[in-house]
Amino acid sequence: MASQLSFTGFAWRNLWRRRLRTLLTLVGITMGIGAFVALVGFSRAFEHEWLRMYTSSGIDIAVVQSNLLSSSIDESLSAKISAVPDVAEVAPMIFNLIDLTPEVNALVYGWRANSYELDSLTILSGRRFHDGAPEILLGDLLASSLGKKPGDIVPILGTNFTVTGIYHGGTALEAGAVIMPLDQMQIVAGMEGKVTAFHVKLRPLPAGETQDEYVKRVSAALESMLPNARAVPAAERAANNQLVGLAHSVAWGTSAIALLIGILGIANTMAMSVFERTREIGILRALGWKGRHVILLVLTEATALGFAGGLLGIGVGWGALRLLSTLPQTASIVSASVSPLHLLESLLIAIASGLLAGAYPAWRGARLSPVEALRYE
Amino acid sequence: MSSPIGAGSPISARGPISAGSPILEARGLVKSYDEGRVEALRGVDVRIDAGEYVAISGPSGSGKSTLLHLLGGLDTASEGQVFYKGSELGKAVDLDSYRSRQVGFIFQAFYLLPTLRAVENVQVAMLAVHEKANHRAERAVALLEEMGLEARMNHFPNQLSAGERQRVAIARALANGPAILLADEPTGNLDSVNSAHIMEILRGIREQRGMTMIVVTHENEIAHAAPRHIRIRDGKIES
Repeated sequence: MASQLSFTGFAWRNLWRRRLRTLLTLVGITMGIGAFVALVGFSRAFEHEWLRMYTSSGIDIAVVQSNLLSSSIDESLSAKISAVPDVAEVAPMIFNLIDLTPEVNALVYGWRANSYELDSLTILSGRRFHDGAPEILLGDLLASSLGKKPGDIVPILGTNFTVTGIYHGGTALEAGAVIMPLDQMQIVAGMEGKVTAFHVKLRPLPAGETQDEYVKRVSAALESMLPNARAVPAAERAANNQLVGLAHSVAWGTSAIALLIGILGIANTMAMSVFERTREIGILRALGWKGRHVILLVLTEATALGFAGGLLGIGVGWGALRLLSTLPQTASIVSASVSPLHLLESLLIAIASGLLAGAYPAWRGARLSPVEALRYE
Repeated sequence: MSSPIGAGSPISARGPISAGSPILEARGLVKSYDEGRVEALRGVDVRIDAGEYVAISGPSGSGKSTLLHLLGGLDTASEGQVFYKGSELGKAVDLDSYRSRQVGFIFQAFYLLPTLRAVENVQVAMLAVHEKANHRAERAVALLEEMGLEARMNHFPNQLSAGERQRVAIARALANGPAILLADEPTGNLDSVNSAHIMEILRGIREQRGMTMIVVTHENEIAHAAPRHIRIRDGKIES
């Protein structure tokens, strides 16, 4: 039985002739896409968890400092915000990422004991904390990884806190977090009289206004009343808080470098391949292959590398996320879930990387004169 | 031997070809290199009729291969024109299409692709003309059978003898049913037995298909066996 030669089969043979080089190139693009899937997937999941947390807590608006040089705002503004007719409740709060042990770090929130945000949590054991006391609530995921239960002591930044209860929250950010009284957090964080933000819950939606219009109107009113503050809708705040912004920046920066290395790897492989096959390209041109056929062949090879690297990278990135979501150091902020859209985006980036990397070698190959290429030694 | 892939096959040469009418004509061909410092051809005029068997001979560096490359559309002339059935190559006739459909090349060094089996090497010529995959494979098998290579179809070039490789190259040259066969020293890498066999195959192909065949050679025996013999020296036709 004679084998049928297809265009893609021909491209595959060309890639397979230099197996080691092809595999090393695949490793490069796999790492690039793996980094993209894991890091960007993580940062998006992180943002999504913030949004879920805001939604489940009933937060409509976050009031924060408008000065970029400062991330804190005076706690005394709480009374002014409460006085706005559309505001139902105001919860001043602080959050920070703190090392609890050398191996475990967690998001630590400072809330008032009467904060409406506590209402969205389910106390699994023990009780809530009291303001003014060195007490904390632990998320169930964190309590499990620390091996702590109500009554146990957890040292945080040099102060011993008593665990008063274990709670369950709907998001990884809550399940892996510590919540302590706002005044205690202000002491350990050196932020007396200051808070990170005010989480504002609005009264029920007035008739004749959409939720979006309502939030924007109240936000504008708050900003006009508080000249040095910014009132940000919750969804926007989820995307723009300092930790999410940092996660996005690190994820995109690191992924871009890893992807660039992968693209350069494919470009190098394809350039070497075209160079080595100069005479073969001359043979193909002598047989009537047009320049565009040569371009198509080289781009098919480069795209196949990108596609295969993309699939492998998705596997690697997903595996890395799953691993990170189980480690005590990262479980509180990493979710193992990756959206199908992110996977599709990763695959498209991988294919585009192949096309980009193959473009110049393909163009060079197509420009070879048949007779010059045949003479090439 | 009957030919399953004859001149009347679906992808044979386009347009009428009647013996005696010019199929190729070169007028005032000049080919120079190094900004005119080296002239490989110095004003060559030649007319080749449809169905002719022409041998071109001459010493090394005389310009015989350069002339073949220009006639086959592999290269372009510095001055002068080549006409295929009265239409100028590179202007009225697209060079890539001309090479894929109207001419078949046979080279001294065979130029088979090392990663492809014999039958795939024949098919690769047909990838440029958008034949269906099963048609390409059937045609390649038929041509290799015609070359007596039915048992060697799935061998790679490095598993074939020199004579077998050249027979694969001939099958490849015939893949798209060309009107003209151009052979550049087709026996240059072969021993005398294989040389005779290859020339016998080429003669058979020409007679059965009525193809035009131009053979560049430095072997007198091959040159004299052709009905028409063009001698070239220092870039000019001597006789």
